[in-house]
Amino acid sequence: MTETPYAIEMQGITKRFGKVVANRDITFAVRTGEVHAVIGENGAGKTTLMNILFGLLQPDEGTVKVAGETAHLRSPKDAIRLGLGMVHQHFKLVPSLTAAENIFLGIEPQRYGLIDRDAAIAQVHALSERYGLRVEPTAIVRHLPVGIEQRIEILKVLVRGARIIILDEPTAVLTPQERRELFRILNGFVADGMTVIFISHHLEEVMEVSATTTVLRQGEVVDTRPTASLSKSELVRMMVGKDISFDRPAHAGKAGDPILEVSALWARDDRGLKAVRDVSFEVRAHEIVGIAGVAGNGQGELAEVISGLRLPSHGAIRLNGTAIDAASPRAIRDIGLAHVPADRMERGVDRDAPIRLNMLMGRHHKAPWSRHGWLNSEAITATANDLVKRFDVRTDSVDRAVKTLSGGNIQKTVVAREFSQEANFLLVDQPTRGVDIGAMTEIHDEILRRREAGQAILLFSVQLDEILTLADRILVMFEGEIIGEVDPTTTTEEEIGLLMAGVRGDAAATQGSPGLPAGAA
Amino acid sequence: MRIFRSTFEQSIALLLALVIGSLIIVGIGENPIVAYATLLDGAFGSPQRIAGTLLQSTPIMIAGMAACVAFRSGLFNIGVEGQLYMGGFAAALIGFSLPLPWFLHLPLAMIVAVIAGAAWIAVPAFFRARYNANEVVSTILLNYVAVLLTSYFTIFLFKRPGGWSETPPILESSMLPTLFEFSRLNYGLFIGLALAVGLHFYFLRTVSGFESGTMGSNQRYAEYGGVNIRAKIFRMMLVSGAIGGLAGGVETLGVHHRFMEGFAPGFGFDGVIAALLANANPLLTVITALFFGILRSGSLLLEVDTTMSREIITVLQALIILCVSAQVRIGRRGDATAGERRWKY
Amino acid sequence: MEVLGDIFNISLLAATIRTTVPILLVALGGAFTTKAGIFNIGLEGMMLVSAFFAVLGSMYFGSAIMGVMAGMIAGMLTATLFALLVVTFRANEVVVGLAINILASGMTIALMNAIFGTRGSIISRDIVGLPPVHVPGASALGQVAQVFSGFTPLVYVAFLLVPVLVIFFGRTRLGLYIRVAGEKPEAAEALGISVARLQYIAALFCGALAGLAGAHLSLGYITMFTENMSSGRGFMAVAVLIFSNGDPLLVLAGCLLFGFSDALAVRLQTFDIPSYVVQTVPYLVTIAFLFAFAYRSRPRVFREIFDKVRPASGP
Repeated sequence: MTETPYAIEMQGITKRFGKVVANRDITFAVRTGEVHAVIGENGAGKTTLMNILFGLLQPDEGTVKVAGETAHLRSPKDAIRLGLGMVHQHFKLVPSLTAAENIFLGIEPQRYGLIDRDAAIAQVHALSERYGLRVEPTAIVRHLPVGIEQRIEILKVLVRGARIIILDEPTAVLTPQERRELFRILNGFVADGMTVIFISHHLEEVMEVSATTTVLRQGEVVDTRPTASLSKSELVRMMVGKDISFDRPAHAGKAGDPILEVSALWARDDRGLKAVRDVSFEVRAHEIVGIAGVAGNGQGELAEVISGLRLPSHGAIRLNGTAIDAASPRAIRDIGLAHVPADRMERGVDRDAPIRLNMLMGRHHKAPWSRHGWLNSEAITATANDLVKRFDVRTDSVDRAVKTLSGGNIQKTVVAREFSQEANFLLVDQPTRGVDIGAMTEIHDEILRRREAGQAILLFSVQLDEILTLADRILVMFEGEIIGEVDPTTTTEEEIGLLMAGVRGDAAATQGSPGLPAGAA
Repeated sequence: MRIFRSTFEQSIALLLALVIGSLIIVGIGENPIVAYATLLDGAFGSPQRIAGTLLQSTPIMIAGMAACVAFRSGLFNIGVEGQLYMGGFAAALIGFSLPLPWFLHLPLAMIVAVIAGAAWIAVPAFFRARYNANEVVSTILLNYVAVLLTSYFTIFLFKRPGGWSETPPILESSMLPTLFEFSRLNYGLFIGLALAVGLHFYFLRTVSGFESGTMGSNQRYAEYGGVNIRAKIFRMMLVSGAIGGLAGGVETLGVHHRFMEGFAPGFGFDGVIAALLANANPLLTVITALFFGILRSGSLLLEVDTTMSREIITVLQALIILCVSAQVRIGRRGDATAGERRWKY
Repeated sequence: MEVLGDIFNISLLAATIRTTVPILLVALGGAFTTKAGIFNIGLEGMMLVSAFFAVLGSMYFGSAIMGVMAGMIAGMLTATLFALLVVTFRANEVVVGLAINILASGMTIALMNAIFGTRGSIISRDIVGLPPVHVPGASALGQVAQVFSGFTPLVYVAFLLVPVLVIFFGRTRLGLYIRVAGEKPEAAEALGISVARLQYIAALFCGALAGLAGAHLSLGYITMFTENMSSGRGFMAVAVLIFSNGDPLLVLAGCLLFGFSDALAVRLQTFDIPSYVVQTVPYLVTIAFLFAFAYRSRPRVFREIFDKVRPASGP
């Protein structure tokens, strides 16, 4: 074996999906024993590249070398044999199995032909001690928080003997504190001589954790540089190809009358557990209220309750002065709700139906789009064409099925439909999840225009920067409660992070920052 | 609801099924060409036979419409057979027991058949709408109950004196008029065709139909868009059951003029298959129902002229469904998404 | 009281065991497909085809064992067809399951006609049925003996399969992987185990057990084949599977309930209740059970009302 300082070398990797080139002639190398960040916008080709490295996809051109040797990665098995391990963005844990069963899935220790549970549990204990990854081996995964799930994913990779660990957007679901814990673990790996490849689109993290950074843009490598030599603005320029301002847009109007009033609201999730606990707040005209929080802390249920898709168990909601806590979705829409749902494919569109019908859903039963129970095709097509133009949805015909559009354009379709309603309250849930940066800025601009027009906006987002950019007030949700309110102009990511982790504002102020590893701040 | 692919692919699949069917016929020791020719002769050989084919197609067509209504709305009503039995029995009950003028008697018998069909699905519909109880199993099991129960009514409560397992004949005032002298083919055929056209426009042009179709395609989206899901599920299942009942009513009032044990074997199931084959499109269901009518009608001659039993037709139908359901997509394997497999329980 | 005593006695228990077994066998088969993430309403057809071929095998080889083998092979072939369409061609499970049932019904009748030239049923002295197993020493226990002795072998097999399946799904790799394939296919793919292969394996196990169920129907207590003799037991098994999610112990519990209602219904027949009515009982019990389960597992989302404020101190 030739001696090489590189754990991984990618040489001239090109991957096409039909006409789309996801990766074009990608060449870079990862040094052994360092954290190497791969950064780029959504759609820059990061995930494709990593799937090639892990054997999930085969490149059309180019070679991958592992420790100096050309590797033929036909499946993840090959990659695992060469000491690679991947922690996916979406965890692939089996909810009904225990932590230990998940960790050893596929390589279970056996005795007399049966799975040796005790041996597996002992090994998990040993490994979690060695790397400070605390996990209870017999816990059922379904009951564990996301942070622990990620540790299980990492342990899964470790028991397979990985020395090169790929993490795909590992921090997206974590609180800032959990994120620091992760970075501490990663640094421990590097100290142990392992190599970490860290995929992200988040600038600060990359600056914080990596030694070297490779920037991808539109499927190509822009550059590979030592992270210390890069400034934040430089990184942005490399990622986006142009300067993007991080300034908050000036807010012209002043908050007006309350439009949405929520008081002492409780709601249960599908399993009957209390998901929203005693929530009270109001949203005024000319105001954007942001709800921040780690995904799964009751935001989904709260949004469903407000839009009439879920009954609250206690409490009151008033929209424009009318009680809506037992009203149907249609009635609430009529009172003045427009709603961009969190999951556009699940709630937001009928993927098989044409764009024009999707554009009018929710008011299809009103004139002029229908009369006496009959749909009026001409009026529907006319309105749809108008909206497609106004919101710049890229399509050649409104007769096409929604599924033919890209993710960003589908989201714009949903936004166009909802923002063009005559509603003075907008419930906007994860408005830019998985859309490219162009569509993102357009949607953000549109939200701000709505505020200027005097509408009241409730914005849910798990992307903290989105909330910080748009919201006038930020409420943080934790385990169904609104645990605190902060002012985006004066708050720090630290403060919000503590709230997101369940540490109350007053406690954080008086007791310092419990739960933070030493030296992290 | 998109279960099957394009018409072209369906034709290929149909051909494949006929080929496999031929192989089976060869396996039984018969000549497939003779068999298919006999089938066609049995279905089209004379005006009587053509009328017979249409006669067989009628209940399949109406039952198929019942299935279309459910499938389009994302509901699996596999219990059309049971609704058909209940409707058939209820129509007979009105038909033989009430002396009324024809302009009251016939419509009343039909309406009661419709109500019986809807009533028969009401409980599964309620539990599907309110508690999301699996409607596939409940409607299938109710088929068995319907057959047993109507037999019990017929034999123990309403038996024709001197007869075995049939009710007294219905009065002339409740009969659906026949179209020709030489056949029992009746106006029921036009009821089926009218239903098909009506449903076609319902799903394409009306607000309610659009909402039903959207619910079938993506229920959570329909709910978000303001459709009252529970009410809609309940209503659409009732309508489906009602049409199933009508299929039975037409069969009683137009063909048998009485209810008897095993009076419409498998028509409900054939309707379900016809609707599946047509991808729940009402107009296409007319064609698939005619196709199954041809098979059924032809199989009668098949049984007379060859050693084969008419169940070979059932085998052929199953093969067609299997072939058509296969959705062969060259080069796109492993592409199935959650959306395409949304029928998970 | 005497009437009740006539109904509820030890032989009712024995009858329950007898009526439970066919549903239990086919439901345990369905546990495999359920765990593998396939909604299998083709169980009915698999069972029917097996019952037919079990009779055929038994007659041809003159041996009940060979009959059971033939039934199992037929069940597995039917299951393979099911898996081919559902797994490989990604066809809709309900549609394929329905078609399998229709195919089974038509094919057995057509074959019966082609081979024996009869309609209705195959009755022949050439069919070798399964012999009852007499547990040694059981007769000393008198009445009680009938609940564990004198059954045909497949009865014992069915009940033994319950703990075997518990261990299989809980403690063996294959069992665990089948669960993973059904619950989280992405997890299986990432580990380099093909979900499709696991689903085929599950389908084959399912076919084999449905085959045993079919063989039990036609070679167990009665040695004959009748048109559509599975008479909805496969669908009852599906109802059990919906409720149990394929967990073997819950499958057993559900099947015992249906078996009991079946046995009870037969018992009622002796009280001059027409058989047409009596026969509806197992179906109605199944449906009621299905609805009760749906009601119990409904989403607990509803408007609650605070307890009214009561005087703080009572008498």
